[in-house]
Amino acid sequence: MSAVVTSRDEETIRVAIPAGSDASARDEAARLGFRLTLPAQVLVLFIAVFPLLMQLYISLTDWSPLSGRNWWMAYESWNDFYNYADLARDGRFWSALWRTAVVMLVCVPVQFLLGLGLATLFADEFPGKRVFYSILLMPMMVVPAVAGYMFFMLFQSGGPVNDVLSTLLGTRIAIAWLSDPTLALVAVMIADIWQWTPLMFLILLAGMVGVPQDQIRAATLLGAGPWQRFVTIVLPKMKTIIIIALAIRAIENFKIFDTLYIMTGGGPGVATETISVYIYKVTTQDLIWGYVAAIALAILLVLSVVTVFAMKRMAAAREVRA
Amino acid sequence: MSAIHLKSLVKKFGDFTALKTMDLEIADGEFMALLGPSGCGKSTTMNMIAGMEEPTEGRILFGDRDMAGVPMGRRGVGFVFQNYAIFTHMTVRQNLAYGPRMHGRPKAEIDRRVGAIAELLQLAPMLDRPAAGLSVNILQRVAIGRSAILEPAIFLLDEPLSNVDAAFRAVMRTELKHLQREFRQTMVYVTHDQLEAMTMADRIAVMDHGVLQQVGTPIEVYNDPANVFVARFIGAPGMNLLPGRPAESDRGLVVDLGPLGVTAPLPAPLAQALRGHPGDVLFGFRPEQAALERAGPGIAAPVTVVERIGARTIVHLGEGETAMKLVAGNDVTAEAGAAVVVAPAMEAVRVFDRKTGMAIGASHG
Repeated sequence: MSAVVTSRDEETIRVAIPAGSDASARDEAARLGFRLTLPAQVLVLFIAVFPLLMQLYISLTDWSPLSGRNWWMAYESWNDFYNYADLARDGRFWSALWRTAVVMLVCVPVQFLLGLGLATLFADEFPGKRVFYSILLMPMMVVPAVAGYMFFMLFQSGGPVNDVLSTLLGTRIAIAWLSDPTLALVAVMIADIWQWTPLMFLILLAGMVGVPQDQIRAATLLGAGPWQRFVTIVLPKMKTIIIIALAIRAIENFKIFDTLYIMTGGGPGVATETISVYIYKVTTQDLIWGYVAAIALAILLVLSVVTVFAMKRMAAAREVRA
Repeated sequence: MSAIHLKSLVKKFGDFTALKTMDLEIADGEFMALLGPSGCGKSTTMNMIAGMEEPTEGRILFGDRDMAGVPMGRRGVGFVFQNYAIFTHMTVRQNLAYGPRMHGRPKAEIDRRVGAIAELLQLAPMLDRPAAGLSVNILQRVAIGRSAILEPAIFLLDEPLSNVDAAFRAVMRTELKHLQREFRQTMVYVTHDQLEAMTMADRIAVMDHGVLQQVGTPIEVYNDPANVFVARFIGAPGMNLLPGRPAESDRGLVVDLGPLGVTAPLPAPLAQALRGHPGDVLFGFRPEQAALERAGPGIAAPVTVVERIGARTIVHLGEGETAMKLVAGNDVTAEAGAAVVVAPAMEAVRVFDRKTGMAIGASHG
């Protein structure tokens, strides 16, 4: 990133300096550019590069805060790549990873479809639109921990969810949602969908409003019906923003933690233990931070691959349009 | 049948009346230009013909078919948007094939039709290029082709040349006129540029403030403006209009222009019409239909500004109500401040009622 900044600056400066001026002036300008971007570069160094290197370092050791040594002394318990080898054999890690993937593969598409449907609705005018719009965005504003507590209460066996089901079905229903391994996961996913569909809706609405109206009208004049317009004009035009929305939600959902932790604590047993919950437990209960660092780096690697893929697709989509 | 008949068409947006009782007949195969300044209701009229907007009152007939309630996709109307509204995420081929595809035509037929239209519009070499980033004249042809492929009986063009720079506009005008002859469809062309309307249209409908001012061939509209608005709007610069009052003289009926003196006698038919028309008038003549003299009979006025634009010179005279413009050759020697005499060609003079603004003694109604 810093490299990009530097080369850009050089380019601007080269434009600014009239041709034929001597080399020392150019050096002077380059030094000025470097000094001007220095604060930003230092900031990037501290928030991104330094923690990453520190993590990499610790992940190669058996360091724990209980060891009584400072973290930079961790080399005393150097263990080569044992943490990574352990990780490969860690069944609980792999099942947490798999569970996280399942949650993501259910939640994100559901949020996407709901968000897209809502965005389509809100792209047109209808009475009371502003009120519904505000109501719809509210879940997003709720603190996730509070949302977790809300859904914890809703899904109690004597709670409102069962009450509603009882009324609808006409018989007494007393499902122990959060104690059943499968239903607990379902409940957690419902909470996530409730909270984050609004964000998906908001992003997709912005994209939908940006679709040129005259092209939609042109399509209508050429005989396209509403569904045909949606598939042939609206969706392709929204491609970039759809990729962004999916990428943001996929990455965020992969890190699902607070709501879930308050609802189930990862239980019953490890039935709702996602990767974040697992890392949290290893960090606070087992206190083997070297291992935690190894897990975190592995996850970062996975997410980076997803992100790079998404960015590539986005760039490709933009190129087609330009 | 593809004649268009607008009957007592009215369009209101809330309290604002965009179009006041418009009656217009456009013949089959005619090139009709709707000409007027922005906000005159020309685009609203066009949108109602296309079905993008519903008339508040009145009817639209295609041939003898009433279009009320017919959705825009079913009207058989081709529409070229101001910015062409090309589907930029598709190739040229996909753009052209869009209409037939939406109508569920078989693939073989679509291919055949796309091939034919691409041939006609010389788009064949760039069929598989992405539509984004094509030059504006190609975009125009794609936009026309995309509509023409459905063989609409009526073609509507909404200021298609307004985004094009001046030099290129001349090329595009010729191309458009050529295409119209090729397709032989009824064309309605919305523009605020009189040059476009004059050069391409069979007839021009001049509009202002939601009111149809005059319908006629380009020459009719230029020679015999129905009212003061058309007189000023058509022509570059527009017609000179001087306030005055008819007066009898021993040489015949003249117009007394007050401080500017008295005009030469009016031609007999115009004098005849004016005699039965008491009250103040506006004496009108075209800037290019008057001679500029150093002295002699005519309207005396001081030169204020001289604009030399190459082949011609525009001479500004007088001030306020008596301001005039004159188009002369580039050999004019007059300079600002000089006193000159303007002698309008009396057979080309037109007179308007000062109160109503309507032409007096015109051949049309």
